[in-house]
Amino acid sequence: MVHYKLIYFNLRGRGELARLILHHQEVAFEDFRFEREEWTKYKTGTPFGQVPVLEVDGKPLAQSNAIARYLARQHGLAGQNEWEQSQADMYVDCIYDLISGTRPIIHESDKEKQKEILQKFLKETVNPHLEKLEQQLIKNGTGFLVGKSITWADLAYYSFFSPMTERFGDSVMDNSPHLKKLVEHVANIPQIKKYVETRPKTTL
Amino acid sequence: MLIETFYRQIGSEIVTNKSFKFSMPVYKLHYFNNPRRGRAELSRLIFSQAGVQFEDVRFSHSEWPNIKPTTPFSQVPILEVDGQVLAQSNAIARYLARKYGLAGKDEWEQAQTDMYIENIHDLLNAAAVPFMEKDPAKQKELYQKFMTDTIASHVVAVEKQLKKNNTGYLVGKQLTAADLAYYAFFSDFIEVKFGGAFLKDAPLLKSLIDRVKALPNIKKWTEFRDSKYPEEN
Repeated sequence: MVHYKLIYFNLRGRGELARLILHHQEVAFEDFRFEREEWTKYKTGTPFGQVPVLEVDGKPLAQSNAIARYLARQHGLAGQNEWEQSQADMYVDCIYDLISGTRPIIHESDKEKQKEILQKFLKETVNPHLEKLEQQLIKNGTGFLVGKSITWADLAYYSFFSPMTERFGDSVMDNSPHLKKLVEHVANIPQIKKYVETRPKTTL
Repeated sequence: MLIETFYRQIGSEIVTNKSFKFSMPVYKLHYFNNPRRGRAELSRLIFSQAGVQFEDVRFSHSEWPNIKPTTPFSQVPILEVDGQVLAQSNAIARYLARKYGLAGKDEWEQAQTDMYIENIHDLLNAAAVPFMEKDPAKQKELYQKFMTDTIASHVVAVEKQLKKNNTGYLVGKQLTAADLAYYAFFSDFIEVKFGGAFLKDAPLLKSLIDRVKALPNIKKWTEFRDSKYPEEN
């Protein structure tokens, strides 16, 4: 049995997708979390001064998406063929861009300015993306983003949009009924539900 | 089914069914003609290194409003593969790298290759901030910060990884899209814009960049594109 150690902050953030993949496929792993204040302790041990890092039998792999993709492929959540795999990659890359877009918002200390940047982000980035995404979901016609069954792409969208609605309300997906349905579906998967109920409660 | 009918069926499939192919897929890569190379170049390098034909579609910014709604997510690059569309520069590069033997020899090496490509993606995103700055004085300041904060520490880290791998390549014992990605970013962009000083304490990275630059197919491509698209330099 290969030993996985996922090293990340005690946050969801860019580590959560890997955790969701492993929980969904019921693969055991060491979910190593540390608090922000401890970061300097762990930073120098990472390949590129960043986390998450996945250790596979002690060998390190960096970059949140490289980690999640590796786990998805190893454990049957990456798509049924090369083309589906690349489509799933595409969707996860879209989520990566959206996560990056939230950083200026998270780091803004002025509440008024934060609200302003958030509104701009929703209007100029998130909503246009959701419009296109609904079209893709309708076109695929299976309820899932890729092919006929769940892939890590669906988990990635759940991982981003579930906290978004938690923070900003249900209206985030008002015009995206297909995505809303998908996010709800993922939330109700027994393994996901159980993990979400028992994981540490974190703001991000 | 009778053998005869079987072969007749196959025969008519070959003649009438467009998706029944023996030949290479038809690739069309779509991107802006400016700014410089940017997020499409890694895929072009992969195509070139692998010796795979592709249509290198470039359009002007004035044409973009008409093209934008036809893309999956209002962004480019996009890759058409026999008419089916894939978006996201890294998904495209990864798909091509895996298909044409430039993604490492096994799943673990593929993950390492992905990791390096994603490092470059982050660096490109970080470079976009000063790149987009309109005020020349502010831009100079931001680029300076980018070089001393972001680039310097990354070069130290990747030099360490190259030393650890000890093969001259980023991943395993042979060329992968990871090496092409680092060449594209560090040579084509950073070195051209800021000079080679940042490589003075990174002999392994410098050696890798030079090695990729000198690969026959890469050399052929860069010479072709530099003469055809001089505005990018």
